[in-house]
Amino acid sequence: MEKKIRVLVAKPGLDGHDRGALVIAQAFRDEGFEVIYTGLRQTPAQIVNSAIQEDVNIIGLSCLSGAHNELFPEVVRLLKEKGAEDIIVVGGGVIPEEDIPFLEQNGIARVFTPGTSTVDAANYIRSTQGQGGEPLMAAPQKIDHIGIAVKNLDESVQFYTQMLGLKLQGIETVESEKVRVAFLEIGETRLELVEPTSEESAIAKFLDKKGEGIHHIALKVDNQQDRLDALKNAGIQLINETPKLGAHNNMVAFLHPKATKGVLIELCEKASE
Amino acid sequence: MSKKENKKSIEKWEKSVNETVAKRPERKAQFATTSDIPVDRVYFPEEMTDEYMEKSGVPGEFPYTRGVQPTMYRGRFWTMRQYAGFGSAEETNKRYKYLLANGQTGLSCAFDLPTQIGYDSDDAMSTGEVGKVGVAIDSLADMEILFDGIPLDKVSTSMTINAPASVLLAMYIAVAEKQGVTSEKLSGTIQNDILKEYIARGTYIFPPKPSMRLITNIFEFCAKQVPKWNTISISGYHIREAGSTAVQEAAFTIADGLAYVDAALEAGLNIDDFAPRLSFFFNGHNNFFEEVAKFRAARRIWSRLMKEKYGAKNPKSLQFRVHTQTGGSTLTAQQPDNNIIRVTIQALAAVLGGTQSLHTNSRDEALALPTEESARIALRTQQIIANESGVTDTVDPLAGSYYVENLTDEIEGRVLDYLKKIEDLGGALAAVEQGYMQREIHDKAYEFQKRVESGEEVVVGVNQYRIEGEKQPELLRVDPNLGKVQKAKLEQLRQSRNNDQVQEKLSALRTAAQGNDNLMPLILDAVRVYATIGEICGVLREEFGEYRPV
Repeated sequence: MEKKIRVLVAKPGLDGHDRGALVIAQAFRDEGFEVIYTGLRQTPAQIVNSAIQEDVNIIGLSCLSGAHNELFPEVVRLLKEKGAEDIIVVGGGVIPEEDIPFLEQNGIARVFTPGTSTVDAANYIRSTQGQGGEPLMAAPQKIDHIGIAVKNLDESVQFYTQMLGLKLQGIETVESEKVRVAFLEIGETRLELVEPTSEESAIAKFLDKKGEGIHHIALKVDNQQDRLDALKNAGIQLINETPKLGAHNNMVAFLHPKATKGVLIELCEKASE
Repeated sequence: MSKKENKKSIEKWEKSVNETVAKRPERKAQFATTSDIPVDRVYFPEEMTDEYMEKSGVPGEFPYTRGVQPTMYRGRFWTMRQYAGFGSAEETNKRYKYLLANGQTGLSCAFDLPTQIGYDSDDAMSTGEVGKVGVAIDSLADMEILFDGIPLDKVSTSMTINAPASVLLAMYIAVAEKQGVTSEKLSGTIQNDILKEYIARGTYIFPPKPSMRLITNIFEFCAKQVPKWNTISISGYHIREAGSTAVQEAAFTIADGLAYVDAALEAGLNIDDFAPRLSFFFNGHNNFFEEVAKFRAARRIWSRLMKEKYGAKNPKSLQFRVHTQTGGSTLTAQQPDNNIIRVTIQALAAVLGGTQSLHTNSRDEALALPTEESARIALRTQQIIANESGVTDTVDPLAGSYYVENLTDEIEGRVLDYLKKIEDLGGALAAVEQGYMQREIHDKAYEFQKRVESGEEVVVGVNQYRIEGEKQPELLRVDPNLGKVQKAKLEQLRQSRNNDQVQEKLSALRTAAQGNDNLMPLILDAVRVYATIGEICGVLREEFGEYRPV
């Protein structure tokens, strides 16, 4: 059985509006979490102490008084100070959209604004703990290709075809990405060798930083846009929120490596003819 | 009594009202529809049965179901009172003058959370909260700026202040003194309702017993010194905001009211000395007819209790006079302009319910404090209902509707059931301490959230009729440096005032707090020498302790 997720629902500051905190606490209990509610008027230090003492996975902060920009980051700062930065901090309340980037930069993993369903909030929390009931989406069909960044496309093609015996499907230039790509067939999937054609190309920057090597994994999917929307709603950081035309007449969109444990993942789907 | 006799008593009432109106005319000499159909002051049923007389009667008389005044809005409109306050006393003073210039007829002060919980702006507990949800007041010096250029003998002021209500009332009296206005001339309201703080709103300081003492001290002091002041505004508003139903709102408000009456009687006051100054505060929510019925039922229940249970004689003791604010928690962050329509419907319900004063929320309040433009639209909403809709031309126009009368009776019955339950638990104070009301409200709040999430309850723009990629409107931002500014002001104050006097007044207050004297005069003394709210509440915290919820 999965370990029970422990959540501290906390009211920082002097705000007395606890309808939301109480409702979310009960909803989380109904979702099977263990929930501790701090009650009103907690200082960030008190909240952090309770969180450590209660050994929680998540702190949910609720503030409707407008003091979130002062109080939420202070909780994150104190967690770090106490070496408890593994505790994830999320927040909610009367929080203007324009404050969210600031809060996220200051370590608030997710801000839930009014109108968020309690089920979505619970699912997000599960996802941060590597737990999930139903997966967000059906499995992709296959690995469409593995992208490999190379400095010299022709030399690399030579190696893969002559030494490893792979079959070259073709070479094309993708103007929008400022790259030249070669596709090599292997079973039901392919390798994609990518060479930059300009210094501004993302591949050139990748080569500068990391040198030659595996650049991305592309998964073949259907309903590409729906999947992107679902990921976005689940708080997964995307590089492309809408797909763009890539090589081989594929529509492509990348997920941010920050959200995928360091792997650049591409979702691709054949462009409709 | 026979129907004939009932008819006669109504004719007698009409005659006496006509005599009063001859002296103090209504808004118009004649009221008529657009088609020149004359509009009567009040419409009555064809047959004046005993049942009608017992349940409804005439407006301005027991049991007040049809309204607390005989002519209601034909005489004058309700007081349009927009709750406002943010940032510094200077900024808020500017907003007050703006609202008064735009036709608002009374002031309503919002204080920041440190003020409401009795902390100075430089207290560690105040971090991040200074000036956020209301104006920051640390001492009389801030209060002088807040009401600068506003004649306190001309406007009435409502102050949303509870645990430290006596301190803010004392400051108001002291500012008036400086304007040369004596306290008998002051009119206004302090919320002063600690029970609903424990139940729903959360800005309590002291435990119930000393809190009830402070409240009854105010009743007693004002009866003599500030006779036109509403000494308490017994509030269902926050109970409703916390998620209660209309019935729970009315029931818990009335239960709290009874607890205050009992406490005052126990303190040795006479019912007719303080009961006329009790006022109430309701929420104007979405379910239109139920809301109208809620007001009608509450008036009937309160007047019967005051007359039959407590033997009040003064007609004013029997009147459930109520301020209304539209329902803040019904506002949505999504498509905020839709909130103007919600507010209109809710405000109309309050008016048809016969409210004495009204605050209409601004469209952007689910996002931040209202901008000046949003606050103006909210005020205009009331002015349109008052001047253009015609609903103000006759008293209690929904009376006699089968539906509304049925709802009124149903609410009355269910409220009485709740009152019985609370009485069995030992009264409102005991019920609060056992967490009874809190649980009842929370269960309803949770049920509602689940219904919204299942789609059973439609919230336009939230779970249906959504639009993607909404742009956020421009919002009011409170100066983030205000905390520092207030701190500097306090530092200066502590250097420039006579600190010996402050210490003397504070220690006199401490001694009195240990005994049984009325604390109001001592608080007034301390305020006059510029003792801060944190210092005064600090003394009381040390003597009384602090409330810890169950």
